[in-house]
Amino acid sequence: MTDRTPVPVDPTQVTAAARPAPTPAPAIELEHVSRWYGNVVAVNDISFALGPGVTGLLGPNGAGKSTLLNLLAGLLAPSAGAARIDGRPAFGDPSVYRDVGLVPERESVPPYLTGHEFVRLNADLQGMPDAAAATDRAIATVDLAADAHRPLRTYSKGMRQRAKLAAALVHEPRILLLDEPFNGMDPRQRLHMIGLLREMAAAGRVILFSSHILEEVEQLADAVLVVYAGRLAASGDFRSIRRLMTDRPHRFTIRSSDDRALAAALLSEPAVFGAELVDGLLAVRTSDYLAFTRIVAPTARAAGIRLLEVRPTDDSLESVFAYLVRR
Amino acid sequence: MTAFGALVSVTLRGLLGRRRIVLMVVLAGLPVLVGLLIRLGGGRSDAPEILDSLVIRTVLPLIALVIGTSTIGSEIEDGTAVFLLAKPIARWRVALAKLVVAAGLTAALTVPPILITGLLVGGFGGGSVATAFGFALAAMAGGTAYAVAFAALGAITTRALVVGLGYTLLWEGVLAGLLDGTRFLSIRQATLGTAAALTGEDVGVDVLEPVVAAAILVVVIVGGFLLTARALAGFQVRSAD
Repeated sequence: MTDRTPVPVDPTQVTAAARPAPTPAPAIELEHVSRWYGNVVAVNDISFALGPGVTGLLGPNGAGKSTLLNLLAGLLAPSAGAARIDGRPAFGDPSVYRDVGLVPERESVPPYLTGHEFVRLNADLQGMPDAAAATDRAIATVDLAADAHRPLRTYSKGMRQRAKLAAALVHEPRILLLDEPFNGMDPRQRLHMIGLLREMAAAGRVILFSSHILEEVEQLADAVLVVYAGRLAASGDFRSIRRLMTDRPHRFTIRSSDDRALAAALLSEPAVFGAELVDGLLAVRTSDYLAFTRIVAPTARAAGIRLLEVRPTDDSLESVFAYLVRR
Repeated sequence: MTAFGALVSVTLRGLLGRRRIVLMVVLAGLPVLVGLLIRLGGGRSDAPEILDSLVIRTVLPLIALVIGTSTIGSEIEDGTAVFLLAKPIARWRVALAKLVVAAGLTAALTVPPILITGLLVGGFGGGSVATAFGFALAAMAGGTAYAVAFAALGAITTRALVVGLGYTLLWEGVLAGLLDGTRFLSIRQATLGTAAALTGEDVGVDVLEPVVAAAILVVVIVGGFLLTARALAGFQVRSAD
């Protein structure tokens, strides 16, 4: 496993959107950062720099996403390398929090506070001159006004998540570090939050959020950092990452009215390079995920075969990440 | 509200909002109950010994232990400490706010029972009132030292409750009776020394000199504050991945 190299060589090219003017220091920067716990390496020699825009930190659970965000949030000291916010070390200087809003991964919020009190607490701790107005604004932004005066212990997971987001937004920070921010939100809330974050990115904010869900990253992120087993496996815009993920050998299992005939028909397609019958199922290998999904139905129809089921067999993110790292 | 005020207020609500506060109040009520029984039996002349064994030896360290270890330790444990620490506030200020609350709440829960118990046991004569107030003041100083020490423990280790219990029961309880030298490292002895100086009462053998007692309390309070500030300045979240 020595050949794991991040895909683009120049990490400074990950900037989500074109920066308006050359800035002295990137808003967020990791330079050869490693973090280990005893013998366990959680983050292994990762470098990148980010400017305005939304960047998605994509990776399976346990890949090191939270460790990375905590390093940037100054809640973990790097074992090696440097994590910087606006050129200042992220760890050991609480003044960086003036510019940083943080949604931590852990769900816990003080259960005895109401949503309003919790957001207000964050405004007061930020030393905001008009904390009351800022609190109301942040609560309205995350659409929580109706439940703001209930204790947090009565909140659903999605509501707690929104309360945490409101608390992170209350001082209108330029940099947002969000660890799995959509966890527990229903699709409508998720869509609302995605819209909100996109607006904030368009207004010049720097947003880094982690997710283990490809679709979330696809909908929100301009740029993607793929993390797997503590390494930066790939980085770039979403489309190039998507291509990396789809331009690899894929396997599908198919059930149809005539598997044998369908196998013969599919083998004549250039995108298909293998088909075999295993345990009464047709297993097909293809080099081109998208092309295959386009041709499978017409091919079956032309041969007069009815498709009962087409299922990708190794499309778990885990296998995708493992593939990216092996490249 | 100022950031410091917000820290004090949320810490206080955190401590009062937990169910263990009921236990604390019950604990604080015990000496009063005993005092009431003694009063019904006609009162006694050995109020200092009763206050020592009922409050200084047991209730005071236990209340300070639970409050002190919850003040910072519980928030680190449940992850909510991040909301206080990821803010543009010098960490020593956070430490100070937490310690002020821990000490204040410990005093609020121990001073009234001492006054009431002292008066119930010794009656309302001038000497008895002086004894009760002397012990109350000493308990405020000693309780602050206990609360600060235990809060510092909570900031440093996840086993603060166990370590604190071990200190109170084994070090101050058992070893103090066997090894004379431990009294110089005992908050209880320093509290008793302070009480003796304030009341002029004889509170037992080998009582610490007032200056030594006061110095011990000051060292514990200042040292505890510095340790807490340092622990919070170097705060790191536990591994999540």
